[in-house]
Amino acid sequence: MSSPTSATAVMVPRRRRRARRLRAALPFLGPALVAYVVFVLYPMVESIRLSFFEWSGFVGAEQTFVGMRNYVRLFTQDTVFWTALGNSVIWVALSLAVPMLLSLAFAVALDRKLPGRALFRTVFYVPGVLATIAVANIWRWIYNPRYGVSESLAQTLGLEWLQGIQWLGDADIALYAIFGAFVWQAVGTNMVLFLAGLQSVPPELKEAAALDGAGAWQRFRNVTLPSLRPTMVVVVVLTFIGSIKVFDLIVGMTGGGPAQQTQVLALWSYQLSFANNQYGMGNAVATVLLILVIAVVVPYMLWTARREQS
Amino acid sequence: MTQSVAGSRAGVTPTARTGRRHPDRPHTVVRWRSVLLWLVVLATAVLWMLPLAFALLTSVKSEADILGTSLFTLPTSLDWENYVEAIQTGNLLQAARNSLMIALIKVPAGLLISAAAAFALARIRFRYSGIVLAVIAFGAMVPVQVAIAPLFQVMLALDLLNNPLALVLPYIGFGLPYQVFILYGFFRQIPAELDESAMLDGAPNRRLFFQIILPLSKPALAALFILDFVATWNEFGIALVLLQRQESWTIPLAVQGFQSKFTTSYGPINAFTLMSVIPVLVIYLMFQRYFVQGAFAGAVKG
Repeated sequence: MSSPTSATAVMVPRRRRRARRLRAALPFLGPALVAYVVFVLYPMVESIRLSFFEWSGFVGAEQTFVGMRNYVRLFTQDTVFWTALGNSVIWVALSLAVPMLLSLAFAVALDRKLPGRALFRTVFYVPGVLATIAVANIWRWIYNPRYGVSESLAQTLGLEWLQGIQWLGDADIALYAIFGAFVWQAVGTNMVLFLAGLQSVPPELKEAAALDGAGAWQRFRNVTLPSLRPTMVVVVVLTFIGSIKVFDLIVGMTGGGPAQQTQVLALWSYQLSFANNQYGMGNAVATVLLILVIAVVVPYMLWTARREQS
Repeated sequence: MTQSVAGSRAGVTPTARTGRRHPDRPHTVVRWRSVLLWLVVLATAVLWMLPLAFALLTSVKSEADILGTSLFTLPTSLDWENYVEAIQTGNLLQAARNSLMIALIKVPAGLLISAAAAFALARIRFRYSGIVLAVIAFGAMVPVQVAIAPLFQVMLALDLLNNPLALVLPYIGFGLPYQVFILYGFFRQIPAELDESAMLDGAPNRRLFFQIILPLSKPALAALFILDFVATWNEFGIALVLLQRQESWTIPLAVQGFQSKFTTSYGPINAFTLMSVIPVLVIYLMFQRYFVQGAFAGAVKG
């Protein structure tokens, strides 16, 4: 049946066949390429270019080339940038620890045939589908210093030490209070990924280990965890991407305050460009963010490409 | 190994003995452990529901109840005033209309464009298709904020600011990478023999795409459709920059706007927030299995 097509294909020289394939592909690829280049790729490259300029962002205002000056200013004079960088690093590190471990524990627990486990899964997953900005509002209310959870607990149980805690107003705890909301939202998604990964653990292996007398922890450590490694890599990368770009939650809960102490890179870049009209500085922060992402993500992409080939 | 078995049995016996009514000792231990685990899971689940429960409870309390009693006390009477106030003062309906319009256009259009691109990359395969795929997939990992200031300038130059309909364009751009990546993996798994039967007809690729590849990919497309609908409904960062007039706001902007305008109207804020999440909650509960499938596709394909 297929012989006529393959016969002509053999007769056409390779180069022309390639050109023909490209021409055949273009109608399908064209719309995506246009949308991607105009709205994603070009702005990304443009933000790198703008990071070497001084510009207010207003149409008609002059763009002055200043070389590395924005970066020098950022690293030597801008204390908020250092706070934002530090907070972003803390945020990524915490995200790779707390929600990861919790979601793994939830997944392992709900992989067993517990009564009502479908309902439990739903309960843990639901915060993940809510808009982050709505989550921010829900948690602002929980953290309300006068009517929130801690104050109500303090009144109901007479716990004086809980009284008057400024969860979002105290520079020492605000970032971690916001992180609590992040954990609530992030655990369900990772849990579903881990649950999917747990399906790939060969049950024979677990049974064999149980027959050999391995305890629950040993079975987990020596059978389950190694089989979860591919899932683990995916969750780590997704968690990294999700946490380095944290923006909505901070905007919704503190706006970077108090006194810029919950500032993060994505938000500081936005505020420099749009609130301070310092496009050069804002895009320099964006470029730093881009470099951080590339440093982690490109090795990962190369690794998956190699894995797919083998 | 035999030693450790003996050891663990020995360690288990004392606990088993306390539960005398059950003669088969190891089972009793396992059962008690399961019950304990179940209780821990239950307690955690209750804890997980509390934030939404507090929001719901507060949303039906009168202002006097909210300010006068603790968070945990039930309202003296159900008060729906907060919902009325939220709808009337918060522009909720207009924002919902904008969000719905954006999602209903963006999701199908974006998915079709992604599927077509994935088809070209997976089934036609031309010279640099590998590189094109990598460049597109890279976009899935880059935070929107990296490109947001120049994106604002692009939309300004095209005279498309404050236009909710125009938001569809950058949304399609930023939605492409993940969808192309997932669909590429899916299309690659469809056996190649199917292509050849379609090739015998006049317009081979178009026919192949619309009549064979797309129908065969329904599960993946459905999962992506639902996930993308929720993601589009919830998007905040791009909309914040491109929609600055209130009448063009989407739901997340209206939620944030309401919260910052009526900082201390706790009842209406909670009512507004809850109403804003109802559509995605309904969609999630209706199409729950697609969320799992979507996550699974991501986990397998990486």
